[in-house]
Amino acid sequence: MGVMEDKKTEGFVFNIQKCSVHDGPGIRTIVFLKGCPLSCRWCSNPESIHPEPDLAYNEGRCLTLAKCRRCLEACPRGAIQPSEEGCIYIDRNLCPGCDMPCAEACPSQALNVYGKRRSVDDVLRTVEQDAVFYARSTGGMTLSGGEPLLQIDFALALLREARRRRIHTAIETCGRVPWNNYEKTAPYINYYLYDIKHMNDDKHIEFTGASNKITLDNLRKLSALVPEKTILCRTPVVPGFNDNAEDIRAICEFIKPLANVHYELLPYHRLGTQKYIFLGRTPQMGDVQLDKSIIPKLLETAVGILGRERVVLLKK
Amino acid sequence: MTRLVCECMSPQEERLYDKIEGKEDKFRLTHPRVFKLLDRFDGQKPRIDIERALYFTQSMEQTDGQPIVLRWAKALKHIAENITVYVQEDQLLLGRAGCNGRYGILYPELDGDFLDIAVRELPTRETSPATITAEDAKRVIEEIAPYWKGKTFHEALNASLPPDVHKLTYDDPEGLISRFIVNETASFRSSIQWVHDYEKILKRGFNGIKKEAEEKLAALDPLSPIDNCEKKPFLEAIVIVCEAIVLWAKRHAVLAREMAAQENNPERKQELLRMAEHAEHVPGEPARNFYEACQSQWFTQMFSRLEQKTGTTISNGRMDQYLYPFYEKDMEAGKLTEEQAIELLECMWVGMAEFIDMYISPTGGAFNEGYAHWEAVTVGGQTPDGYDATNDLTHLILRSKREFPLHYPDLAARIHSCAPESYLWDVAETIKDGSGFPKLINDEEVVPLYVSKGATFAEAYDYAVSGCTEARMPNRDTYTSGGAYINFAAAIEMVLRNGRMQKYGDRVLGAETGDPCSFTEWEQFWDAYVEQHKLFLRAAFIQQYNINNLRAKHFAQPMGSAMHDLCMKHCIDLHQTHIPEGINFGYFEYMGFGTVVDSLSAIKKLVFEDKKLTMAQVIEAIDKNFEGYEDIHAMLKAAPCYGNNDPFADAIGKEIDKISVEFGHKYSEELGIHNDVRYVPFTSHVPFGKVVSATPNGRKCFTPLSDGSSASHGADVNGPTAVLLSNYRTKNHAMRDRAARMLNIKFTPKSLEGDQGTEKLVSFIRTFCDLKIWHVQFNVINRDTLIAAKKDPEKYRSLIVRIAGYSAYFVDLSPDLQDDLIARTEHAI
Repeated sequence: MGVMEDKKTEGFVFNIQKCSVHDGPGIRTIVFLKGCPLSCRWCSNPESIHPEPDLAYNEGRCLTLAKCRRCLEACPRGAIQPSEEGCIYIDRNLCPGCDMPCAEACPSQALNVYGKRRSVDDVLRTVEQDAVFYARSTGGMTLSGGEPLLQIDFALALLREARRRRIHTAIETCGRVPWNNYEKTAPYINYYLYDIKHMNDDKHIEFTGASNKITLDNLRKLSALVPEKTILCRTPVVPGFNDNAEDIRAICEFIKPLANVHYELLPYHRLGTQKYIFLGRTPQMGDVQLDKSIIPKLLETAVGILGRERVVLLKK
Repeated sequence: MTRLVCECMSPQEERLYDKIEGKEDKFRLTHPRVFKLLDRFDGQKPRIDIERALYFTQSMEQTDGQPIVLRWAKALKHIAENITVYVQEDQLLLGRAGCNGRYGILYPELDGDFLDIAVRELPTRETSPATITAEDAKRVIEEIAPYWKGKTFHEALNASLPPDVHKLTYDDPEGLISRFIVNETASFRSSIQWVHDYEKILKRGFNGIKKEAEEKLAALDPLSPIDNCEKKPFLEAIVIVCEAIVLWAKRHAVLAREMAAQENNPERKQELLRMAEHAEHVPGEPARNFYEACQSQWFTQMFSRLEQKTGTTISNGRMDQYLYPFYEKDMEAGKLTEEQAIELLECMWVGMAEFIDMYISPTGGAFNEGYAHWEAVTVGGQTPDGYDATNDLTHLILRSKREFPLHYPDLAARIHSCAPESYLWDVAETIKDGSGFPKLINDEEVVPLYVSKGATFAEAYDYAVSGCTEARMPNRDTYTSGGAYINFAAAIEMVLRNGRMQKYGDRVLGAETGDPCSFTEWEQFWDAYVEQHKLFLRAAFIQQYNINNLRAKHFAQPMGSAMHDLCMKHCIDLHQTHIPEGINFGYFEYMGFGTVVDSLSAIKKLVFEDKKLTMAQVIEAIDKNFEGYEDIHAMLKAAPCYGNNDPFADAIGKEIDKISVEFGHKYSEELGIHNDVRYVPFTSHVPFGKVVSATPNGRKCFTPLSDGSSASHGADVNGPTAVLLSNYRTKNHAMRDRAARMLNIKFTPKSLEGDQGTEKLVSFIRTFCDLKIWHVQFNVINRDTLIAAKKDPEKYRSLIVRIAGYSAYFVDLSPDLQDDLIARTEHAI
């Protein structure tokens, strides 16, 4: 694929976040791509799941109809109606395929579109703005999602163009994409963040809506394909799902033979809850919170199996 | 809020919670002396000590008509002879400018014309309150203030300003109330921040300087009128002032010996005798060891506080450089341990914490809230040769900063491209501690800029941080007057109101640039802004012209001059208008940069480009403070903002900067100084905001302006990297006519957690250096902590926050400044 084609390739991006320090080495820019093969109950980016744009409505920012009716006037499909509380109600069934001019019309950004079609050139121009920070921190671009490798042509073009511009690349992947996608992108990826959520397939299916077979298989293969690169395997520690030493032990035992795979625990947080409401969905985890006192114990378990140098321990 | 809410706390927060829960500070055991000293004034409201003002006035009454420098020296001698001297229990250093505990002193030569009124109001003032005894208040009103009526610099300046400049400066004919549009700051400090060449005193002592002055006196041409009328009084003043400080020091020695004689504790007795021995020797003679060097520096520093009001208190220079030879020698000889050195330094920090830079005028108090102080201690940087200068003492000072519980001293770390990783790690770890120290100053911006302005490389490499963000070359800099603080958000309002402001009614204060609703092109609006901007600059430069001429008649600083190579060489006081071979670094302040950029950006985008709003709609909404116009408010706020590395906003910012830079370039020469644009507000963006109605960036009326070169509150949504890049992109790198830019960035402790966090902060600092950003400082704190502290000030008394170039106790700030701090974007780096 040529440079021009790559630059023009387009895909759906729902966010570009600069100055991120928790997703790969150094100071990075994260490009969030739409679409995910899983639908994890705890997902903190529910806006990432659908491959198409989603309309979000944050009632807290809404100026109320007494002060502004711009969205009602802008909607070409009659999907927005006054609500009893003086705000709006959205019939989202009418939205697919719409350009959503309501969001553009909304002065207070109460209405927002998650997912905009952007070109590789456009995305990388934004990513490259922070190049001076990458140079000092060995940071760069991290593709995240959703599952970035679902939009494989777009992801590949982004990675290839990043390499041309000498930008360090990382990818945050859930592992559930055709193996071929890893093979294609491997030459252009410097660093992997790879999620393993559970070893028990029934539990995995119950909580994420999909089997873990492909994910586990791909990790084994990937480890062999890129032995010189670091793969940081991450487990979201989710209450009622895997917040116990046995489940973590099983994951660690699985990755133990894969020498280039490191391990990190990510405690569940509820910061994504609000986004479900914005999207007109119900957060599936409810109010449940993680008992954080379990984390040191889980870390101990991981260290016991993998050794200190393969486990990310934040505190000194 | 409970302790569990925050995921990760900075060490400072942990210490604070420990204190609330009644636990001992973890450093109390290892620093027993210092904690004992601190406990004595913990939570104390500062007291005003009138002795300095009293003896200064007594002497001045006797010397009317004599050359000002000689009068000043005689006044200092009178103070040295009469002021109470103290030997504090447990202290290892001698020398203070007033009573025990937290205290401030008065400078009636600055504000004597309204000192009586101010002293009456002071105890109940909302900002920076202090106490004074009834007896002392009476003496101020009866014995001090009357002499100064009609004689102060402030009165002379007020009288000198032409009406069109006066109306932008003051609100009343007497000049007691600031207009907060083009404010002068020269009348509430006789010197803007300053730093001495302390090394000279450590090496030569004041006796050495006195000898030089005597030799010069003897060599004067007895027939020359200049030698007789100018050089002779100057040199006599130097001799007097050198004698004065030595006499003052020796009075301490006498007292220490008296106390030693009565002391029962043998250990303390030895300490007192040793202190007496030092005070007999320094600062007259060269220091012989590290302890004496500290004592000599401290005497010098404290006596210079008695000499004059240096804005933000006198700075401490490159302490890790000039103290290092003494430190190294003593360490090698086994005469000093690290712990002893830290204890001495911390005894000095305690002394600093006790001295309050008191602003008597309401304006001065509002400018520098929370007992502002910038006695900058500089560490790191480069040697005069241009090599890295860090040493063991650099690291020791950084360590002491982490272990000392108060926000003293104001610590500044110089950063350069070859700064070693070990230094940057230490700096980053100290920042992470959470008190916001050290602030960082960038050699890669300061050094080339100063060389381009006429310094040699050796001088520029050896600069010391001074005050809030400035850099001084103490033997080359010669300009010490405060510059204008200019409220450019008011310029926006004047464009919208045809030269008027809501706050000041129908009075025409600015240029009548026409009805903005009649503008059909963006360029017309822009031109109107430029016209107001230049009108303000014109007023500022006229102010400065008058200040330059007046200050030489009103102020002198013989002690400061004694330490300055050029003053001694040319026998001229530092306050005189022109010192041969000197470089005059003056500046004026751009207030509300983010507010103005964002306002212009919103108008350009919404009114002239996208045509989503009309000018009339914008003005109507502003007149109503956006009440009932929430949609317009939201649209204005969503326009491109400074601080996001947004080319649309940043291009406007660069053009605005250019107006100032070009004006300075053109008219500075006439003034004989570099009068360059600077973006350093202290806390004055709050009072300046109080006169400006709502602005087109969605800022509500009378709320604070953006501060320094930081973004408007909450407008910087792209994180700290974008903040730095916007700063970089709004600077006119091609021109030298610029000065400091202050930049605040807040991090949560979580984002900098662990070694990984430190590593990222280090690389962030390196990039800051690459981008040639003048200054940056970090606030590592959780927002919840601030909210809780506002609600429950008593519990959070020791919470230190970094704001606008310095740290202060959070609870010392007024409620609206607290809100301002809480409102700032919390960056999740």
